[in-house]
Formats: sequence, structure tokens, C-alpha cells
Amino acid sequence: MIRTLTLNLRLFWEGTLLSYIALFHWLRPVTYLASKIVAPLAQILFFTFLGTFATGRQNASFYVIGNAIQITASSGIFGVTMSIGGDRWNGTLAYLFGTPANRLVMFVGRAFIHIIDGFMGVVIGLTWGALLLGVDFSHTNLPMLALVILVTTFSTSGLGLLMGSLSLMTANVMFVNNTVYFSLLIFSGANVDISNLPAWMQVISSALPLTRGIAAARALIAGQPAAEVMPLLTGELVIGILYVLAGYFLFRWFEMQAKRRGTLETV
Amino acid sequence: MILGMIKDYGRTILAVAEMTVRWTLIDSFVIFTIFIQPLIVALLALWILQDKGNDVAMFVVVGSGMTGLWSGLLFICGNSINIERWSGTLETLVGLPTPLEVIVFGKCLANISFSLLAMAVSYILAAWFFGYTLSLNQPLLFVVSMLLTVISFISFGLIIAPIFVMNPSIQQWQNGLEFPVYMLSGFLFPIALLPGWTTPISYLLPPYWAAQALHGTSSGNAPFEQILLYWGILLAFCVVYYLLAGALFKKMLVKARVDATLDME
Repeated sequence: MIRTLTLNLRLFWEGTLLSYIALFHWLRPVTYLASKIVAPLAQILFFTFLGTFATGRQNASFYVIGNAIQITASSGIFGVTMSIGGDRWNGTLAYLFGTPANRLVMFVGRAFIHIIDGFMGVVIGLTWGALLLGVDFSHTNLPMLALVILVTTFSTSGLGLLMGSLSLMTANVMFVNNTVYFSLLIFSGANVDISNLPAWMQVISSALPLTRGIAAARALIAGQPAAEVMPLLTGELVIGILYVLAGYFLFRWFEMQAKRRGTLETV
Repeated sequence: MILGMIKDYGRTILAVAEMTVRWTLIDSFVIFTIFIQPLIVALLALWILQDKGNDVAMFVVVGSGMTGLWSGLLFICGNSINIERWSGTLETLVGLPTPLEVIVFGKCLANISFSLLAMAVSYILAAWFFGYTLSLNQPLLFVVSMLLTVISFISFGLIIAPIFVMNPSIQQWQNGLEFPVYMLSGFLFPIALLPGWTTPISYLLPPYWAAQALHGTSSGNAPFEQILLYWGILLAFCVVYYLLAGALFKKMLVKARVDATLDME
């Protein structure tokens, strides 16, 4: 039992480490600066200026916080999908399916580094908000905010794991990823108050990661106590776990189908 | 002789444009850039700006359509030479008697013209989904502004395509250039909201003048003299950018023939 646990922990750590190395193999410092610091800042500024044009400067925080948290989807969706789908594009999926390794540990290990990366992205986004757009953190329970960011990043990575599993079955995964990323700008409440959306869109919002995380972050930064945001945080965590499980089962299903039909490389 | 050359190049441009449109129709990234992303931007802008009244609808249609034009220019025209390199066809194209810039012109013409559909998609969204009554106040002037927008965007495309090929490090900033130009060009909000030091940068961008002309003619808020000024500036940019593009293509071809490093990143 201890030996199995140790092996799984090692597998998790190796997967995480290799994902990290793979991420920074293509992500040179300049690329990182451009895609993880400048591009998110530009997104935050664009929607904040658009929002303040509509409703005045006093509402800038609404847009800054919403977009800063939503940026975690960049790591959670694109990063995680590339980690999962990368095995197929690089022809290593067959070897992976040939190993007796615990699939869940291997699967979640791929996402771990992107959770850390996504967390850092949100912190950078919020720092931009404080430095350039005057977001006030003086009434914020910062450790609780960090926990909210971590849980939200985890749940968004859960969606990424699901998308990663889908990437094993479709050739148009970047189209789907881009569409999901941009749709989250609407459905997560990053830029529009969820209560202003039509009822059917509110239903979709409630089933997505980020929605509760963004609401919790806004409440905490506005000075609400930690107890008030606990239901939102718990909901976000549950949503994340559900997405991870859905992604895992899809991954297993794909593995079974691929082995049975010999369709590993054919999509 | 000149007439014959124009005829030949015109035929090449049209043939390249046709092939590009055919290829574009099955490229999911292009479909996302031209249709889906501007649609989502339009949806967001219509919701965010809904308290600004009925006039805002046409402003959003034009502005979000222009985001599609810029993204199309940046990602599709910007990579119009790179894609040949990735496909292994660049050396063949460089070896043709037809100048490479003529071929890239045809590709940009197709992409920019196709990107105009982003505006149509936003129009349908605002009219059908949100129920706005939309009208163009100066339709003739709007069409002329649109034509000049297409020509100026092509000239911009002819600049960035060789720059991206010769400087892969600049290409890494592609994602980071998308939203800043949305802001600096005043597609969906006035540039007066931005810090004053950014205004000269806006003035150097053809998309800013194109947005001014299109917003001005669609809303009817700009007097004719002002529209003429916007058109004049757009044309001036076109002349400068086409001359600059000629020099850039020359440099790129020298690099290809002398250094033989064209297919290397």
C-alpha cells in the first residue's frame, strides 16, 4: 500500500515536472512576457476602459477583478489541453497507454503546473489592477483571496482537463478552446453581471468554473468576511472536481475505444 | 507594357484571392478570428454599453467588426508569408517571376475583404438578438470609408507580413498586440479615455483613422470636411506603407537569395 502510494506520488511529481519542462521548452522568457503578462494586461485594460466608458470610473474594480481572475483560463484551458493533447500530436500517446501507471494520478499531474502558472497569472493581473487602475485591497482578507484564486484556478484546470480529453477526439481543439475561452468572458460574469443575462445563460453560467470564483473574489476585495464567501468557494471546488472527473472518464473512454478499435492516431 | 503588367498582376491577385477565400472557408482558426471572436466582443459590448441608448448599437456593430478586421490582419495577413514557409512552398513562390508582394497582396485582399463579414455578423446580432433598429446615416460615404479601410489594412498587412518572417521574435508579440490596437484605435470607446501620452501612437495607426471614418459616417456625427480629412490621412498612410512594404520585401528576398535562410526560424 505504502509502495503504491509512493509510486503514485512519484508519477504525479514526474508528470508535473515534465509538464513544467515542456511548458518552458516552448515558452521562452520573451514569449512568456508577451503572452502571460502583456496580453492579459491588455485584456484587463480593454474591458475596464469599455466598462468605465459605459458606467463610470467608480465601477473599474468590477471589470479589473473579473478579467484578472478570468485570465486563469489561459493556463487552465490552453496549457492543460496542450499537456494532454501534446502526447497525441507528438506520437507518445501509444507508449503512455501501454504503461500500467495510475491514469488519474498521471492525468491530474499534467494539470498541476498549470494551476501554479494560472495562480501566478491572476496575481499578476490583480497587481496590474492595483498599480494602474486603483483597485483597493485594504479591506481584503488576502489569505482567503489567495485560497479563492487557487480553487478557481483548480476548477478552471478541471475544464481544461475535459477539453484536453476532447482534444484526443477532434482535430479542431484550438477552435473549441478559443471559443470556450472567449465565451467565459460572458458566461463567467467577468464583464457582465450574471443577473443581467437571460435565464438560459444564467443556467450555463452556474455550471461553469470561474463564475463563483469571480463572485467570491469581488466580495472579498469589497471587504466581505471569509464566512460570507465560503458557499461560493465550496461550489467552485465541487464544480472543479466534477470537471476533473468528467475529463478523466472521457480520457479513459477514449483509451478504451482507441485500444479496441485501433483508432489512436486516426482523428 | 505597363497595362499588360497591371493586367497580369491583377489576374494573379484575383486568382490568389480566390484560392485564399476557398482555403479560409475550411480553416477553423480563421472562422474563429473573423466570426466567433467579433461576435463575442459585440455581445459583450452591447451588454456593457446598453445604457448608452439606441445610438450605441451601430457604434458597436462597426467597432466589433473592426476588431475582427484587426485580428484578421494581425493573425492571418501577418502570417501570410509564414504559412508558406511552414508549408514548404515559400522557396517556390520566391522563385516565381511574379513578385512575392503581388501574391501577398492577393492574400491580404481576400482576408481583409472576408473579415468584413465580422461587421455583418455583428449587425445581425444587434438587430435580431437585441432588437435594435440600425441605420447608416451616410451610406455612400460609409462605403467609400470601407473601401479605403480595406486598402489601408492591406498596406498594413504588407508591412507586418515580411516583418514577422524576418523577425520571429516580434511575432511572439502577436497575441499581445491584439487588444492594445482595439484600444488605441478607439474601436469601441473614445481614445480620450486613455492616458494622453498614448494619443500620438493612435495617430500613427491606420486602424484609428479607419475607425474614425467608419464611426463618423455610420453615425452621421462627423461633418464632411472631417471625413475628407480622415480619408486623406488614410490615403497618405497607404502611400507611405506601400513604399515601405516594397523596401521590406526587397530586404526579405535578398535574405532569401543571399543568406539562404528563408525557411529557418
